[in-house]
Amino acid sequence: MNILFVLIPLSLVLLGVAVWSLFWAIDTGQFDNLEEASRAWEQDDPPPGP
Amino acid sequence: MTTVTAFSAHAFWANETGGHARTVFAAEGIRCASCSRSIERAVRGLPGIEKVNINVATSRVCVDWDASKSQLAQILKAVADAGFKPVPLAGEAAESAFVHERRLALKRIGLAGLGMMQVMMYVFGVYVATPGDMDPAIARYLQYVGMAITTPVLLYSGAPFLLGAWHDLRRRTLGMDVPVAIALVLAYGASVFNTVRGTGQTYFDSVTMFIFFLSAGRFVEMVVRQRSLSISEAVGRSLPSQVTRVTKTGATERVPVRDIIAGDTLLVPKGGVIPVDSTLVEGMARVDESLVTGESKPQRRIAGELLLGGSLTVEGAIRVLAQKDVTSSTLASVVALLERAQGVRPALARAADRMANWFIAGILLIAVIVVVAWMFVDPAKAFPAALAVLVVTCPCALSLATPVAVAAAATRLARSGLLVTRADALERLASVDVVVLDKTGTLTSGGLSIINTTMLGALDSQHARAIAAALERGSSHPIATLFRPFESADILATDLQETDGLGISGRIADQLWRVGRHDFVAALAADVAAPPGDIGVYLGNESGLVAVFALGEDVRPEAFAAVEKLRRLGVWAVIASGDRQEAVDAASASLHIDRAGSRMAPADKVDLVRKLQAEGKRVLAVGDGVNDGPALAVADVSCAMGQGSAIAQAAADFVLLNDALDVVGDGIATARSMLTIIRQNLKWSLVYNLAAVPLAAFNLVPPWLAAIGMSASSLVVVLNARRLAAARRAER
Repeated sequence: MNILFVLIPLSLVLLGVAVWSLFWAIDTGQFDNLEEASRAWEQDDPPPGP
Repeated sequence: MTTVTAFSAHAFWANETGGHARTVFAAEGIRCASCSRSIERAVRGLPGIEKVNINVATSRVCVDWDASKSQLAQILKAVADAGFKPVPLAGEAAESAFVHERRLALKRIGLAGLGMMQVMMYVFGVYVATPGDMDPAIARYLQYVGMAITTPVLLYSGAPFLLGAWHDLRRRTLGMDVPVAIALVLAYGASVFNTVRGTGQTYFDSVTMFIFFLSAGRFVEMVVRQRSLSISEAVGRSLPSQVTRVTKTGATERVPVRDIIAGDTLLVPKGGVIPVDSTLVEGMARVDESLVTGESKPQRRIAGELLLGGSLTVEGAIRVLAQKDVTSSTLASVVALLERAQGVRPALARAADRMANWFIAGILLIAVIVVVAWMFVDPAKAFPAALAVLVVTCPCALSLATPVAVAAAATRLARSGLLVTRADALERLASVDVVVLDKTGTLTSGGLSIINTTMLGALDSQHARAIAAALERGSSHPIATLFRPFESADILATDLQETDGLGISGRIADQLWRVGRHDFVAALAADVAAPPGDIGVYLGNESGLVAVFALGEDVRPEAFAAVEKLRRLGVWAVIASGDRQEAVDAASASLHIDRAGSRMAPADKVDLVRKLQAEGKRVLAVGDGVNDGPALAVADVSCAMGQGSAIAQAAADFVLLNDALDVVGDGIATARSMLTIIRQNLKWSLVYNLAAVPLAAFNLVPPWLAAIGMSASSLVVVLNARRLAAARRAER
């Protein structure tokens, strides 16, 4: 069962990666407005720039 | 503090009149009655504070103070020092505070959720292994790993509960977080102790799970609260930060909204927001006032007419002349009214708060008794039983039950234009059984129409109307428009002469005709024998009077539906009007209202209200707030109608921002369902707690189930109240 001493720390690293990715997604605004994206197609395109 | 100065400018509606100042802001971190008490204590420590009102459900703090003795910044600092973050109610700062709060909450839930799953997997092996089967070294190793994950979860995700309890204890009060934090610290402490010691139970899985469910519950509460904040938020945020001003030379410049003063000419683009109350300079405009008055149909306005600040132009760019600056505009008054209402806690909620406080003290006592009792029976079970008791009880459901329902009802009504200005008003509105209405304006549109034509001569009425129409053709008087449909190509008038206030004379087929007031028309034939009636337009020629056109006010089409709605709710409508009897009778007959009073002076209206009250009725008076002021003051519940900044000063319980009378019926219905929901909520939380505590005390509820039970119980209360706001959308 000694493999546990390697695998469990490895799973902890994976947990760390999962937490880091979630925090990154939240901080970059992925969850700020869950309804807007579904309505984005209704909006007019921005006028072409000069 | 830089943040303080940042929000005292635009986003922050701090009203100052004659050295007396009032401010309303949101405070992040208010969760229960004890939080609100500690804010109140902190603010009252400053000199010159007159009134502090805090609403737990909406996190609003409303402070009245003497501006010469304290500064706004000092008040905000006192709140911050008490452990709460003051947040402005509108503008970008509020928006970013919302986003920040939401993101932080999501991260806390995320970490707790991931941690919970991992800990569960590690300790599962320890749980299921038959004793002796698992290498003790491995078992201890897994416990240490559980501790390694639980520690950050407790410190990061559990921080709001630990800090909240710490603030409560430091102020020597018992808040909702105290039992939670005690349970968390005890369970974590015991687990760490047992892990290091190498024997005994560990509860790392329960701790992470408890934090996860609690955070998720708090998150839903937060979302609901942010939504109910958002109505005045939407109003405040709808203002553009910059507008286009036309200078004296005709050039345009961009200026901040707060720099607009009365007399500025502004250019509003199509679809743009009219920033302040202003008049239309030229042409015609269609505006959407729904944000300010709740009126959903676009309104037509012509040059010189008032456009309310906060309304949108529907078609075309327009030029407007500002009448007021942004702080004295209608929009500011509406926001101030909303905030006054949302900043105050209703009496029902205060009672529930006091109850919740005793409740927490009781729970702590029961937990101690449970520990002592189990020590005699089975010491091993004493600890889990006490934990379950602390966790399972939910004082939050009790203290949230009323305020969330009141906030949801008020939000719903505000959306249709009925503002609640007093916290207790909704409760009283629910019990109303008579509505006293002013006729003019409330039931009738104020527009006139020809309701009857009486012939005095040999002419037929169609011919008479055509003659009148020919005479009125050139006139711009409002009455002239009533005859327009009767114009005929065969009859043309010449020598038209309009005498202001009297009528019009003209020549048709060599006959001199007059249309207008009785004396003016009768003078033509020196025939004064005809009976002078009420409002009427007379038509006559040199041989005498020919016809009388009786004019009457149009009954609003919505009035029928509104009165019918009231009737279905079992509420009578009574008309109290200052108008002539015939006009009142016509309106009451077409609306099937049995009781109507005409030619009533303000004092008569007061008598009518008193008489109805003496009959045991609970009276709602609806009026314009100026002439009807005394009647509104006597009635059990009052509702002022009207537009403009005068409404903010009206001492009524409700303010109806549009003329849509059916909103009153809607208000009564909403107030009644609000009371039902409050009763359901209180019953639910009592039943839940009474059932859960004994079960937990006898060790029948494992700590993880207790965590789910507690979070679910407060969610039930919050979501039940949300039904009030949701029902409206279903109706539409």
